[in-house]
Amino acid sequence: MAVTEAPARDPEAAPDVRGPTAPLPASILVLGIASLVVVVGGVLASQINYALSDRTLTQACIDEGISPDDNGGLGVCNIVEGLRDTLTTGSLYLGIAFGVAALALGWSTYKRMDSKRRRDQAVTGAVLGAQAIFLALVLLVFRSGEPALFTKHFLNFADLEGYGGVFIRGARNTLILAFVGELGGIVIGLILGVLTLSPYRAVRAPARIYINFFRGTPLIWQLAAGFFVLLLGFNIRISGFIVAILIFALNTGAYAAEVFRAGIQSIERGQIEAARSLGMSYLQAMRYAIVPQAVRRVIPPLMNEFVILIKDTALVAVIGLTASEYEIFTTAREGQSATFNATFFTAAAIAYLVITLPLIRLVNVAEKHLRSGLVGIAGTGG
Amino acid sequence: MAEAEATSAAVRTSRQDALVRLEGVHKWFGNLHVLKGVDISMLQRDVLVIIGPSGSGKSTLLRCVNMLEAPTLGKVWFEGREITDVRTDLNEVRTHIGIVFQAFNLFPHMTAMRNVTVALERILKLSSDEATERAWEQLVRVGLGNKANAYPGQLSGGQQQRVAIARALAMRPRLMLFDEVTSALDPELVGEVLDVMIRLAGDGMTMMVVTHEMGFAREVGTRMLFMDEGRVVEQGEPREMYRDPQSLRLREFLGKVL
Repeated sequence: MAVTEAPARDPEAAPDVRGPTAPLPASILVLGIASLVVVVGGVLASQINYALSDRTLTQACIDEGISPDDNGGLGVCNIVEGLRDTLTTGSLYLGIAFGVAALALGWSTYKRMDSKRRRDQAVTGAVLGAQAIFLALVLLVFRSGEPALFTKHFLNFADLEGYGGVFIRGARNTLILAFVGELGGIVIGLILGVLTLSPYRAVRAPARIYINFFRGTPLIWQLAAGFFVLLLGFNIRISGFIVAILIFALNTGAYAAEVFRAGIQSIERGQIEAARSLGMSYLQAMRYAIVPQAVRRVIPPLMNEFVILIKDTALVAVIGLTASEYEIFTTAREGQSATFNATFFTAAAIAYLVITLPLIRLVNVAEKHLRSGLVGIAGTGG
Repeated sequence: MAEAEATSAAVRTSRQDALVRLEGVHKWFGNLHVLKGVDISMLQRDVLVIIGPSGSGKSTLLRCVNMLEAPTLGKVWFEGREITDVRTDLNEVRTHIGIVFQAFNLFPHMTAMRNVTVALERILKLSSDEATERAWEQLVRVGLGNKANAYPGQLSGGQQQRVAIARALAMRPRLMLFDEVTSALDPELVGEVLDVMIRLAGDGMTMMVVTHEMGFAREVGTRMLFMDEGRVVEQGEPREMYRDPQSLRLREFLGKVL
């Protein structure tokens, strides 16, 4: 009865043909999920337990060089003790056991599964199990090293108290450097991209030399050299911040030029022929027909360049900035040199992620949107 | 001697009258010799149909007329101006020669209306109102008054091709080139495009048409060229050529396509 009558949800939706499940593949999937939950859950529970309960510095921690006078020493000790706790140890080994079971069962049986859903469950369970094994082994190896020393220097956030404001200013400066640099780079890149497509070698050559120079030398050198070229060569005295924006724009321009060139070349030849046939000059055809189409296609790669540039702004560390010009990385460097606590760099990495993760997500959405949009836009219909 | 002078005088007159003239046109793509010395002249109101097997150089020849392909050798005149001369302002010449392509080549980011008006405004410098009025006239003429605001992606192939024809006609060209304009269409959409072209020919437009539509060639063409391997093998009045092909190659070709 259920077979003859399709479910009356959406009449347009394709039917679900993955087929039924069975006890074996379902339990492989459950084992896989359980292994990951046990590893992650056990470690987290142990950490939360140590963080929330009232404790003092243990002898083991003191032996490993954490002194009661250390700012945040107790927190560091709690992290380390939490890692060594039996709850952690037990869940790591239990997770490995579950993971091995899921992996072994899934690996040996998935080819024999006779429905799509059964096979999917067996494969997914095995893969999750493998991930749990990997994660647990990494943690076991990590804690067998010098976790106290590492935690003291990289996960001791106590010294960061009071640095929130400067980090926010740093994030603002990072965004200014990257955004203005990217904008300048897009303008330079569009012009250079069009020049590299000129039929005249004399026009193409300088554009190519520029692009190859900026793509072929390290950005860190360009920043350092640019600063001194302007200062000593041209006798221009401007702040390191402005120099940095300038160099970022020049550098991004070279990459954006290649993006634009590829974008323009991806437009069908018939488009420029149609435009030229209507009496447009080459530049008019570019302006009205080609570039507006190319721009849509280059938005995702240009946004990728922007994400890359956000991280590359850290390289301004090689030129002299005033305190109010510090971006995320130089802010962290200042904090670290004041406190000898490298956790500032951990915080910087987190700050970069806070900025880049939404952007990466946006790139993916734009790419998907563009891909589906292309069907409607470039489709020739009949 | 006198006879020779009279002939050259006659040639000169025909040079004056011809809307389009090609003389000794050769085209190489790399080592590929595509056109091997083609001479053509077209008078006003001619509907010149070019047929021939694929790879015979028909499209290349047509594209030499508006210099989308520059002949490697030979000369092309349009309205008495030598457009193969490097000093010629090709952008200006092209405003008088409309072309419709096999792949439509509409601008996908513009509505049908904008496809037609963009060159009117940017190149002919018409005001927005004038351009819209002229575009409207042409869209109605090709039967797409109701699709003015549609994007090419929302139109069928036949509709896109008719927009492309309207776009070319709105420039008020003195010559229209059609490059296998129905070859990319589903069979049921070919008729609507051919109908537009038949009416256009009836209105007295000078047309050069590369086509595989043998019925259209016979009914609408005032003259026909048969090309093979880069040369004009035979030319004449279409019905005559169908009825009594002179060359073996045309006979073979007609035998295959009819």
